[in-house]
Amino acid sequence: MEKSFKITASEGIHARPATLLVSSATPYKADVQLTYNNKSVNLKSIMGVMAQGIPAGAVVTISAEGPDEAELLNKVEEVIVTQGLGEKC
Amino acid sequence: MLSRFFNKRKLQILAPVKGEMLPLEQVPDPVFSEKMMGDGVAIMPEDGGIHSPIEGTVILVADTKHAIGIRANDGTELLIHIGLETVSLHGKGFETLVETGDSVSIGQLLIEVDWKFVKENATSIITPIIITNSAEKQIQLEPIKKCNPGETVLMTVTPK
Repeated sequence: MEKSFKITASEGIHARPATLLVSSATPYKADVQLTYNNKSVNLKSIMGVMAQGIPAGAVVTISAEGPDEAELLNKVEEVIVTQGLGEKC
Repeated sequence: MLSRFFNKRKLQILAPVKGEMLPLEQVPDPVFSEKMMGDGVAIMPEDGGIHSPIEGTVILVADTKHAIGIRANDGTELLIHIGLETVSLHGKGFETLVETGDSVSIGQLLIEVDWKFVKENATSIITPIIITNSAEKQIQLEPIKKCNPGETVLMTVTPK
């Protein structure tokens, strides 16, 4: 399953937002990918997420597959919204 | 038992910049001090550019030029984050000399920094050096010392 978000953090997904995202996903078993500009990276990799260079205004898709995929996506959405990183779209 | 038969390869991480080594806990930003990004050390830079601490491949150069990621041949991923809140400088004060995909050697100059400008316009010039995939690694930190780029060992990484 997947969810899409519009990134609203003014500096995009740099070190701190990337770390928050990865920390939110890492405790779950499901595999999770972050797709931006047709390029997918593992959402559990800080370097991978930072290397995407996601700017403010970008739309990203997060897709998870595994036994706890729904819980993972809910947690990631909660972090994106409460930390002011983006909004669901 | 089996591990005795494997010669675990050690990766030495050298200092990327001249300055004073500090424990990560002293970086005034919880993303680094609470090791949310991974284990590592920090350097309070004194002078000169950012040099490669390992042999490897550049896997990340921030558009804002304030951070660089390098993957060593053993898979260790290392992030050098120059200063704090330096993302907001939008590249001013930095000049990158390499790009993603480049092979780099130990001590190679990667980024030139106008430390005076960064000091005046960012929260701090303290520069964390983080192993971002440290969950897969065993990291031995060296005692605090003065650092010279490409010479001083900061930490040693071995596979778990």
